[in-house]
Amino acid sequence: MSAAEVMETLKQAAASAGGFVELRYHAKTSRGVVVEKGKVESSSSRSVAGLGVRVLENGAWGFASTGSSEPADVKRAIESARAAARSGASLRSEAVADLPEVKLATGDFSQPGVDEIEQRSLEEKVGMARKLEETVRSSSSSVSSATCGYSEIFEEKAIVTTDGAAASFRLVRPELRLQAVAERNGEMSTGFEAIGTTGGWECLFRHGDGEYFASKAARTAVDLLSAGHPQGGRASVILAPSIVGLLVHEAIGHTVEADFVQAGSVAAGKLGQRVASDLVTLCDSGASELEDGAGGTIPVDDEGVLAGRTVIIRDGILESYLHNRESAARYGVAPTGNARAWEYANEPLIRMRNTYLEPGQTSLEEMIASTSHGYLLDGPRNGQADATGEFMFGVQEAREIKDGKLGALVKGVTVTGIAFDVLSTVDSVSDSFRWDLGSGYCGKGQPAKVDAGGPYIRCKALLGGEQ
Amino acid sequence: MSSTGGSVSPRDPLEICKQLVDMAIDAGAEQAEAMVESGRGVETNIESGEVHTVQSREETVFGLRVISQGSKAFVTANDVSERRLADSVKEALEQASVIPADEANAFAPPGDSTTIEGLYDPAIEKMTVSDSSRLAATLAEAVKSRDPRVTIDSGSVSFSIERSALVNSLGIEKEKSTTMAGGSLFGMAVDGEDIASFDYDSESSCRLDGFEAALLKTADRFTDKCVAGLGAGKGLSYRGPVVLSPEAVAEFLLSNLMGALCADTVRKGRSPLADKLEQLVACEAFNLVDDATVDSMVTSSPFDREGVATAKTTIIEGGRLRTFLFNQHEATLAGGNARSTGHAAGSASSPPGIGPSYIELAAGEESDLLASNGGPVVLVNRFSGSTNAVTGDFSGVVKNGFLVENGQRRPIRETMIAGNLFEALRDISALSSERRLISSSALVPSVRIENVSVTAG
Repeated sequence: MSAAEVMETLKQAAASAGGFVELRYHAKTSRGVVVEKGKVESSSSRSVAGLGVRVLENGAWGFASTGSSEPADVKRAIESARAAARSGASLRSEAVADLPEVKLATGDFSQPGVDEIEQRSLEEKVGMARKLEETVRSSSSSVSSATCGYSEIFEEKAIVTTDGAAASFRLVRPELRLQAVAERNGEMSTGFEAIGTTGGWECLFRHGDGEYFASKAARTAVDLLSAGHPQGGRASVILAPSIVGLLVHEAIGHTVEADFVQAGSVAAGKLGQRVASDLVTLCDSGASELEDGAGGTIPVDDEGVLAGRTVIIRDGILESYLHNRESAARYGVAPTGNARAWEYANEPLIRMRNTYLEPGQTSLEEMIASTSHGYLLDGPRNGQADATGEFMFGVQEAREIKDGKLGALVKGVTVTGIAFDVLSTVDSVSDSFRWDLGSGYCGKGQPAKVDAGGPYIRCKALLGGEQ
Repeated sequence: MSSTGGSVSPRDPLEICKQLVDMAIDAGAEQAEAMVESGRGVETNIESGEVHTVQSREETVFGLRVISQGSKAFVTANDVSERRLADSVKEALEQASVIPADEANAFAPPGDSTTIEGLYDPAIEKMTVSDSSRLAATLAEAVKSRDPRVTIDSGSVSFSIERSALVNSLGIEKEKSTTMAGGSLFGMAVDGEDIASFDYDSESSCRLDGFEAALLKTADRFTDKCVAGLGAGKGLSYRGPVVLSPEAVAEFLLSNLMGALCADTVRKGRSPLADKLEQLVACEAFNLVDDATVDSMVTSSPFDREGVATAKTTIIEGGRLRTFLFNQHEATLAGGNARSTGHAAGSASSPPGIGPSYIELAAGEESDLLASNGGPVVLVNRFSGSTNAVTGDFSGVVKNGFLVENGQRRPIRETMIAGNLFEALRDISALSSERRLISSSALVPSVRIENVSVTAG
């Protein structure tokens, strides 16, 4: 069934359905190749398509999914979702409120890059991955193992609701991952580079071509072989856009998701209060603000709400949470377009999209020059945060700063702190900006493709890593 | 589809597998392997302590692997129509045509079979959305009544049934039916301005009998863990012992260790244990097995992702490394006497990887690992940090942890631990006599590790 036929089927189903019904057709095709130590380790293709149906009936939500978009199956799924909602209604202490009226999206919102990547042959993509793996492996005699993974996710959606949404779009998200393992005298270290975007290859490689990232991964692994460990304790740190992105996503973004706020996150009750230095303005957007290609871009969310920009913290003051239509009704505000589902069989949850800190006016060079002692942290290895806003990020590259100058590379660094406390210590924000988590996935029961980034910022946090 | 779960694909998974393999061979593949999973289920989600969304779902997924002119490719989809199957065979062969040949590419030959009891319970098949909703409401109420300071951010109760089959062109034909009842809780305790770290717990079972009682015990455990984190204060910096709870042992220590024990990690030069077979890699009290053949265990399966019969595998015995985990591909690459150990992991929607099913770490003899000579000991209930899989260096935050000093025990926050995983295995000084089952995938004791760097914020 073509996309136009699916849209027509959904519109007809919605027109004949009573009450509130949300119909979401979602087709996803993922392709990937992994090359390691000169061998193609895997080549795969995954296609998943179907319909997710959500109804709000008797003050409760019901959801059903089916792999078929045939009219009879759509009708059956609506009935299943209704029966599910009825089973939950009597068990709630209060009914889910009617959804707020909002201007819902209609029309096609397809994003660039889909045709370009579809037209590139599998041979070209496999060839690129093999060449880049070879580049990593041959960069240094100390590199003992190299990996290159290329993947792409094509998505096609049609969202129709009984209260007026009728939107569709196509988009593509290519990603590239490179890893080097270096070895010397029994010591091992790794260097990892990953990029991802919403768009074509021109967008994917906007900060450098594949060779650049391959060489960088190898160089990092080799350099880390001779790196020492930092002294643990509280320190002045300059966070690169990749770490800033992780901080605003993990440690702030999750605590302002309205469902988490409702459960009692650290952001509950703090609207209108100062939670950060006045240099901090933090946003989440479905669009790729400030720079093209952010990896979490969505034009319309899975409730049919246009996915615009939300200012979460403005000049240090907490201004908004992130909402779906249900939580917006509860808080008496407009929905922010943050309802997202991973695949057709998943119900939409409140999720981030592209989360970022707005740039300031200081150059990175000035920031380093005015730091008497601290560390420049770049390249997140992973990250987690808590309901309290306490976060922990592993850092790939850390350079000591002494008397305003960059010094030795150190390894095994972990940075931690309480997010609002750390953001309150921000005393400098750079004038540059970069999306730098485009290869990232967020987990909250189901994955979500997100991006995050920002400028360089200087703040105080707790460093770990001494052995 | 219906409120009682409805019907899955009317076609038998085994028949779909056979058809796919035949189609691939007819189209020119030298070897082919197909796996089909057909499942349905009901689930009720809890949000902010209330029954939220009630769901029913069904899906049939196939995964097809082909070897053509020595090259291997994989295609998966959730549409088993004739047209989609034919397109997928074509796509797999096209994919293989641009992949270099590898003489180690081969699927598993027919071999032994394993019988496991209790993986299917017809009572679960009868569960409806009303059943999952009633139990979800009971679960939420159990948490609230035990301690109203605990809020459930999210949780769920689900019932599902799955029929799956695996066929390859070398003669393997396997099928199984499984059922699962599951429940989970995620949330935290909030007391005024005091917010504790989030925590979670879960329960799952192949059988309905006893599930509700076990789930309500999970609610008690979850609530108590959340509340214990209230009032956390500053920790202490020192180098010395820490105690990992069974959760931390399973989710931090063993999960990272298992990665280094997979044969592909070894082959790729990423495991520090690569040349340590038959050598001491842990303290002598460390005995680790993996067993996918335990009756009535949700992680059990009579065959792995390649159709190889599963078995109990002794991995570390008396601290000595006895074997790595192999799937068919890695066993072929390793050569010599290497055989698949039945550890091909994954589902129909992904090509086989390598991984354990259900690991057991033997209990020790200690009843109180926190006893000390007055010096500090940190209890790590959960570890939130990073571990370099290649080097074993780890560093991260202690979650819902406690500091025990001079006989006093108090909750702590902003405390980091750092060390090296492989050194930590040798620095284990004691294992507890009690063990706990974690996420139905690991039965483990607490362990005490010496010489760990602890940094307080």
